[in-house]
Amino acid sequence: MYYPEPLSKLMDSFMKLPGIGEKTAARLAFYVVSMREEDVTHFARHLISAKRDLNYCKICGNLTAQEICSVCSDTSRDRSLILVVEHPKDVIAMEKIQEYHGFYHVLGGVLSPVEGTGPEDINVPSLLKRLQNEEVTEVILAMNANVEGEATATYLSRLIKPAGIKVTRLAHGLSVGSDIEYANEVTLMKAIEGRTEI
Amino acid sequence: MYLEQLHLKNFRNYTHASLQFSKHVNIFIGNNAHGKTNLLESIYFLALARSHRTNKDNELILFNKKNAYISGDLFLRGQKVALEIMLSDRGKQAKSNHLERKKLSDYIGTMNVIMFAPEDLELVKGSPAIRRNFIDRELGQMDKIYLYHVSQYQQILKLRNEYLKQLRQKKAHDTLYLDILTEQLAAEGAEVLARRLVFTHQLEKWAQPILADISRQKETLAINYQSSLPSSEALLENEEENTITMALNEAFLNAYRKIQAKEIEQGTTTIGPHRDDLSFFVNGQNVQNFGSQGQQRTTSLSVKLAEIELMKEQTGEYPILLLDDVLSELDDQRQTHLLYSIQKKVQTFLTTTSIEGVHTKLLQSPKLFEIENGQILSENYLEKGQIREKR
Ligand SMILES: Nc1ncnc2c1ncn2[C@@H]1O[C@H](COP(=O)(O)OP(=O)(O)OP(=O)(O)O)[C@@H](O)[C@H]1O
Ligand SMILES: [Mg+2]
Ligand SMILES: [Zn+2]
Repeated sequence: MYYPEPLSKLMDSFMKLPGIGEKTAARLAFYVVSMREEDVTHFARHLISAKRDLNYCKICGNLTAQEICSVCSDTSRDRSLILVVEHPKDVIAMEKIQEYHGFYHVLGGVLSPVEGTGPEDINVPSLLKRLQNEEVTEVILAMNANVEGEATATYLSRLIKPAGIKVTRLAHGLSVGSDIEYANEVTLMKAIEGRTEI
Repeated sequence: MYLEQLHLKNFRNYTHASLQFSKHVNIFIGNNAHGKTNLLESIYFLALARSHRTNKDNELILFNKKNAYISGDLFLRGQKVALEIMLSDRGKQAKSNHLERKKLSDYIGTMNVIMFAPEDLELVKGSPAIRRNFIDRELGQMDKIYLYHVSQYQQILKLRNEYLKQLRQKKAHDTLYLDILTEQLAAEGAEVLARRLVFTHQLEKWAQPILADISRQKETLAINYQSSLPSSEALLENEEENTITMALNEAFLNAYRKIQAKEIEQGTTTIGPHRDDLSFFVNGQNVQNFGSQGQQRTTSLSVKLAEIELMKEQTGEYPILLLDDVLSELDDQRQTHLLYSIQKKVQTFLTTTSIEGVHTKLLQSPKLFEIENGQILSENYLEKGQIREKR
């Protein structure tokens, strides 16, 4: 027996998500059909809104519903610190531990010749521009501790250091090859405390 | 160390099999294509979580089944260690001492094996890649940090080659990023090379007396590591052990600096452990080019036997030896030497189609397993002279 058309279309959409194969898609699709109409309507609206109403912060590159994200518009933060991360989800992980009170810069990726990503393809130019205008004294690099992350961090430090700004690397405490996203909160805190100049 | 028992479920052509082994010599006997090599492969897999003859784990699962299961009890310094691996189309799950090891690198290394198959007689004759693989495999078993550096090196190499290509095609222009990749590659290359140089010296030290012995003192052996980095051998002789890596790092940086323009032109990395090789010399002549077939075999055999001793020196335990069809390839004198040198100290598994080709009188009551179509027909210890009567 074939799936009715609306169901197979929904399954097809679910299968566009990472890690979802046909079996899981079928289970989710059947579940959606059994949900209350009101919940399904909300679900659909939220999906569209997440895409339509979000954009990247003009200053730091983080995801936000405004032009400027909530971190960048928070005047109580320490203007002398910028923490550079790969992805918006790293900002959220870092904010959860409430230990860091400076600003962020989200690259949106790392340098990778294999992926064809150069400095212009990630938010490197906007970072360098920020450093010219702002009263930043320290940049903390928090790329993942894999080969691409290391190379990107070293690259940034070579560009930033000549301007007389202190550059530290968040690496200790994160296991080698690990993603920041998966690091637990204790290791993240240790990592912040143990940052080193490179 | 020795493997006391082995259990297979849906591995290759074995639906179910349970075997109890001798601490000394175990012989798998059977006709072609009945599953002798498959048994050795399963032992190899239990140790290293991969096959010696394929990269596709799926091929190891019995046709039309979803999972394979391999387990065994290893005895290590008087302690029993339970090892098990579950294999499915989604990957593999390895446990030692009933604990799951999420990273396979945490699993590998408990059980050490050395496989000697007819292809290994090609070690001397074959391509440089065969010899690099040989070093990576054997050194990696003894030294996990080496494996880590090799994998880092390969990842950086891939980035650097890709970036050199983009520089050549003028798709990229920033040499700062190249410098950074070069520094990272030099650092990892130095770690890999330092360990390989030491390994080669140790291998030579153990292989020399073995070859002398087999050749009745007529031949002398030298093993040279041929590095694509100029003068790395000299560094090894002049530097203290703890400064070798630093000196090699420096030497790599200098070398890469000198050839940067050429590497951009070629769009690839031309110096480093990925371009290196081993050479074997018997009585001063390169065996690869000038050795007779017999000398090439004797050299390969000496190297394999040296590895056993080296592993014992490094880990404190003799590894388990897997001999696939090699006895019939060796003449009487070499076979005698091989069997004599493993006698009593190394647990050995060997395959053969006929017992006639094996000098069983040299062996202390070996255990014989008759294999037919993925089944163990019989298993029993052979007492002296028993074979003759049977035939
Ligand atoms: N995944 C699998 N499922 C079932 N059977 C398999 C599988 N892979 C291989 N075989 C079978 O295993 C047999 C080969 O076994 P093996 O290589 O151990 O033979 P062998 O006894 O070592 O023979 P030889 O003496 O020729 O070396 C073949 O018959 C092959 O069809
Ligand atoms: Mg075989
Ligand atoms: Zn912002």
